[in-house]
Amino acid sequence: MKWTTRAGIHVDRAASAWLITSYIDPAAEFIYVNDPDDVPVDSTAFDMIGCELTHHGDDVTFETILRRYDLVDPILWRLGEIVHQADLDDDRFDAPEAAGLDRIIRALGCDHTDEEVRVITGTILTSLEKHFRAETARG
Amino acid sequence: MLLNYRIPREPSTPRIAVWRKLKALGVAQLGDGLVTLPHTPETQEQLEWVANQILESSGEAITWIARPSSRRDSKALKKQMQAERTDEYAALSEEIENTGSADRRTLARWRRQYRQIEKRDHFSADGRDGARLAIDAVATTITGAKRSVGSP
Repeated sequence: MKWTTRAGIHVDRAASAWLITSYIDPAAEFIYVNDPDDVPVDSTAFDMIGCELTHHGDDVTFETILRRYDLVDPILWRLGEIVHQADLDDDRFDAPEAAGLDRIIRALGCDHTDEEVRVITGTILTSLEKHFRAETARG
Repeated sequence: MLLNYRIPREPSTPRIAVWRKLKALGVAQLGDGLVTLPHTPETQEQLEWVANQILESSGEAITWIARPSSRRDSKALKKQMQAERTDEYAALSEEIENTGSADRRTLARWRRQYRQIEKRDHFSADGRDGARLAIDAVATTITGAKRSVGSP
């Protein structure tokens, strides 16, 4: 399936793309556009104004996707808290990782394409997810 | 970058939430329902999200990529925004100065406040270094550790 998001990707879009690839559509292809009117009709838009999978109420796109696809895994929601804080910095959650992740992804954007930022962020999140799972398993 | 918007008076909760968000972004208010920020990909996205939030609250909002036609007005706006941040840095510095001894909790709160101001300080306003130095001094007192020479 094709998925479209806004160009100049940052934490919420990169993390949402990771969530899509990891838990919804392993064969996902990503398209980056500047204008909502440029979203191809055969693709699903996310983190763009006017689409379904975007910020709703207090949720960032990552959290919206978790809800819409009934992903209830607490580890994914923990990652969601980090993404939420990195994106909005609104003190809703205590996620000290957020400020660092925000800065790292912002820095990646300076010398990498959107697709590269997406892939690198995916690597980071896959490891973070494993790390949290190991931590939880240890109790 | 401009955002012009209209949001219903009642219910007041979404209206206040929008206003808080705009304040946190460091916008300059140009008029009733008209605010501005310097244009970067980041500020564009921020204002577009606020616009989205306003639309979801039964309001009206349009974001514009626009700039003043005269350099003089542009400079005046920049000065106005700098002055607002300078006041915020000064208030923080003053609070630090007036607090006799601080614990780690207070230090963490000041650092957080500083970061929030710095985030919306789009033009490196005066007072930033002063506030940071004041916080560093408190940190040195509390932790006993000294920053190495030459570190920013």
